[in-house]
Amino acid sequence: MVRFQGVAMRYANGPEVLRDVTFHLEAGSYHFLTGPSGAGKSSLLRLMYLSHCASRGTVKVFGHDIETTPRRLLPGLRRRIGVVFQDFRLLDHLSARDNVALSLRIAGIKEDVIRAHVAELLSWVGLGDRLDATPSTLSDGEKQRVAIARAVIGRPSLLIADEPTGSIDEIQGMRILRLFEELNRIGTTVVVATHDQRLIARFNHRVLRLQDGQFTVEGRGP
Amino acid sequence: MARRPYDLPFAQDGSGRFLPWIIALMVYLAALASIAALATREAVSRWNAGLEGTATVEIAPALDSAGTDAAVAAAVALLRATPGVATVAVVPADEIARLLEPWLGPDAARSGLPLPRLIDLTFAPRARVDFAALGGTLVSAVPSARLDTHSQWLDRLQALGQSVQIAALAIVLLIAIAAGATVVFATRSGLAVHRELIELMHLIGSRDSYIAQQFQSHALSLALRGGALGVALGAGTVGALAVVSRPIQGALLPDLSLGASSIVALAALPLIAGAIALVTARITVLRALRKMP
Repeated sequence: MVRFQGVAMRYANGPEVLRDVTFHLEAGSYHFLTGPSGAGKSSLLRLMYLSHCASRGTVKVFGHDIETTPRRLLPGLRRRIGVVFQDFRLLDHLSARDNVALSLRIAGIKEDVIRAHVAELLSWVGLGDRLDATPSTLSDGEKQRVAIARAVIGRPSLLIADEPTGSIDEIQGMRILRLFEELNRIGTTVVVATHDQRLIARFNHRVLRLQDGQFTVEGRGP
Repeated sequence: MARRPYDLPFAQDGSGRFLPWIIALMVYLAALASIAALATREAVSRWNAGLEGTATVEIAPALDSAGTDAAVAAAVALLRATPGVATVAVVPADEIARLLEPWLGPDAARSGLPLPRLIDLTFAPRARVDFAALGGTLVSAVPSARLDTHSQWLDRLQALGQSVQIAALAIVLLIAIAAGATVVFATRSGLAVHRELIELMHLIGSRDSYIAQQFQSHALSLALRGGALGVALGAGTVGALAVVSRPIQGALLPDLSLGASSIVALAALPLIAGAIALVTARITVLRALRKMP
């Protein structure tokens, strides 16, 4: 599913923020990614969701070596990855419905199919009565759920969430992680970046730990 | 059903705010240039049609009117006997006086000034007349006669008409280039303003063509609005000029009223502006996005 081999990453001409990262995420697995602030968690995720390229080493996603994959194939690969950004990254001028629909519109799905699926999914995450609300009128928890709905509406093979519980209370955080578990049970590979060790301890999943740009894998998972 | 908003918040940025007004101004200028070219073409065509297949024989005045009359009679007889000549009509003296009135005043006919005599000729359709030979024969028979086939006058008119049309076309092309450049700058500005959202759209799987579609639709919409305004202003201006110039319109001034061809040309301008905006925006966006990851 995702394979990193001796990967390093730097921004422009700056120092390496990741060094010699090697790991393999199997299809259908569930991993937490943790480490102190500045350890490189977000950088690692950026490589995984194909926002940036490695400065050294090999990144393979869905069997494609990203370094050598033609640019025209990247949109198709990215559509198989759902991303929940730490800062949500919703489009403020669009309603919750249109924010979630964006992933499907981009994929060229017909409008009548989009309407039905989006309403159903937003109801499932508890926002059935906020379909036409814009992000500025939503609470952080509601924005988080819209962002999650946008990430999962296309039934991605790989779901990546960057600090999905960072700006919401513990109860809501647990609900979101349970939601990810449900998705994982139907075959979605899940990677959740968090620095909340208590949260990690509540689940029996493998932990990818980053420390000063280097990497260890802990736990065996279910 | 309500119109779906653009995925990118174009309404919230100023990158395209002035585009409709600039396009309106450009379409207005293009409309004036196009109407001028069309009116000139129609006028030249009308003049051509009026003079084609005709000629005029001018008889210089003799020392006395009897001599002039004899020369006219000899010329008329020769012309009527010439193959291919359909009609021969001597222009009445008072008509000649009326033609010369702007230069000689209203009493020219009664002033005793020796005025030339004119004979209007028309030729049979498809008749092959050797004008040089006819002119020579005429001068041999009537030395004071001169054949004018209007060719020099027609050639100059056509050259003038072509020059006006080429100038108008050049103006329209320059306007189109300027409109394209304006759209390029507005689009680049929009790309810079929305860079973060474009990156986001890429990350959730958008192809460059989908993002370009957003920009080109927006540019098309702005250009059509501006184009419609520009054409309305152009039509209003031409209509006003037609009303103002009507009292002095005649054989010389082009007819400025909006005919079918003018209306078609005006209606096409916003569509052309829209097409330029659409294509330019698309190319600009696709070229810029190719440099993004």
